[in-house]
Amino acid sequence: MMGFFRQAGVIAAKDLRAELRTKEAINSSLAFALVILLMFSFAFDPLADTTREIAGGLLWIVFAFAGTLVLNRSFARELPNDCLDGLIAAPLSGAALFLGKACASFLLVLGVQLVSLPVFGVFYNVPWTRQFPELLLVLVLGTWGLTVVGTISSALTVNIRLRELMLPMLTYPILFPALLGAMQLTAVLMAGNPIGPGETGWLKMMVGFDVIYTAVSLALVETVLVS
Amino acid sequence: MSAGDLYIPLGATAALAAATALAASIGYLRTRNLRFDSMARAATETLLAFLAAAIVSGCFVIHSVSGKWWTWDARLTAALVCWLLFATCLMLRAAVDDPSRRAAFAAVWSIFAWLDVPLVVATAAWWKPGTALPIEWTGPRLGLLAAMAGGLLIRARMRQAASSHPERAG
Repeated sequence: MMGFFRQAGVIAAKDLRAELRTKEAINSSLAFALVILLMFSFAFDPLADTTREIAGGLLWIVFAFAGTLVLNRSFARELPNDCLDGLIAAPLSGAALFLGKACASFLLVLGVQLVSLPVFGVFYNVPWTRQFPELLLVLVLGTWGLTVVGTISSALTVNIRLRELMLPMLTYPILFPALLGAMQLTAVLMAGNPIGPGETGWLKMMVGFDVIYTAVSLALVETVLVS
Repeated sequence: MSAGDLYIPLGATAALAAATALAASIGYLRTRNLRFDSMARAATETLLAFLAAAIVSGCFVIHSVSGKWWTWDARLTAALVCWLLFATCLMLRAAVDDPSRRAAFAAVWSIFAWLDVPLVVATAAWWKPGTALPIEWTGPRLGLLAAMAGGLLIRARMRQAASSHPERAG
C-alpha cells in the first residue's frame, strides 16, 4: 500500500516538474481565465449589487473552462516520444498513474484558481476574503471533482480523434451536480454569509460526488489505459 | 389522450433502455464479447430517442399549465442533463476507430454516466424545489406499447450493428 502512494507521488512530482519547467498549460490557462473574466464584464454591469448574487456561478464557469486547458495536457503531455507507452509498460499500476496525474492537475488548477480569485474580487468588487476558509473548502471539493473526471476523460481522449474537443464535451455533463453545488455554495460565501444548515446538504453531495468518482476512476482506469 | 399521458411511459421506457445499456456495458467489460457492445449501443440510441420524446411531451404539459415551454422544472432539467450524459457516450463512440477499444471506452463512460443519474436527479430537485412534474401512472397500456417499441428498436439496431462487423459477430 505504501508503494502505491509512493508511485503516485513520483508521477505527481514528475508532472509538476515538467509543467513548472515548460509552463505551457498553466500560462495558457491563466491567460484564458483573465480573458473570460474580462469578457464577462461586457455582458452586465460589473459593479452592480446584483453581480454578487451571480458571482459564484461566474467564478465556476471561469474555473471549469480554464481547468479544461490544464486537464487536456495531463495525458497529452506524454504523447511525444511515446512516453505514454513507457508509463503503461512501467511496473506501476494504472491506478497509481491516474492518482499521481490527478494530484498534479489538482494542484495546478487550484493554483490557477487562487491567482484568478483576487483578480475577480478586484474587477467585480466582490469581498471574497470574508469567508475564506470555507471558500477554500468549496474550492478544494469542487476542484477535486473537476480534476478526477477531467483526468479520466484525458486518459480516454488522449488517443482518439478531436481530443481537445471531446474532453469538455465529456466532462461538463458529468460535472453538473458538483458544479451546481459549488456555484450555490460560492454564491452564499461571496455574499459574506457562512454556510448555514440549509446549505450543508450541497457540501455533503460534493463530498459524495468526489468519493464516488475517485473510487470508480481508480477501479476502471486500468481498462482505459490497456485497451 | 394528452401529452400528460405520454411522458411517464416514454420516460419509463427510456429508463428500461438505460438499464439495458448499463447491463450490456458491464457484460462487455466482463466478457469482451462485442455482441454486448452492439446491445449497449442500440440501447443507448433507443434511450436517447425515448428520453427526447419524454422531454418534448413534458414541455407540452408545462406549456399547458404555465404558458411557457421551459420553466426549469426539476424533472425535465434532470432529464435534459441525463440526455446530454448519454449523448456523450455516442459521441465518444464516433471518435474511436478500433472496435474493441471503442467498446471498452463506451462501456466505461456508460458506467460513469449511470453513477451520475441519482446525483443529477437529487441536485435538480434541490435547486428548484417544488417544481417537479407529477409522476402518476396514467397509461399502463401505452407504457407497455412504448416498452415493446423500445425493445424492438434495440433488437433491430443490434442486428444492424452486428452485421456491420460480420467477422466479429459472435
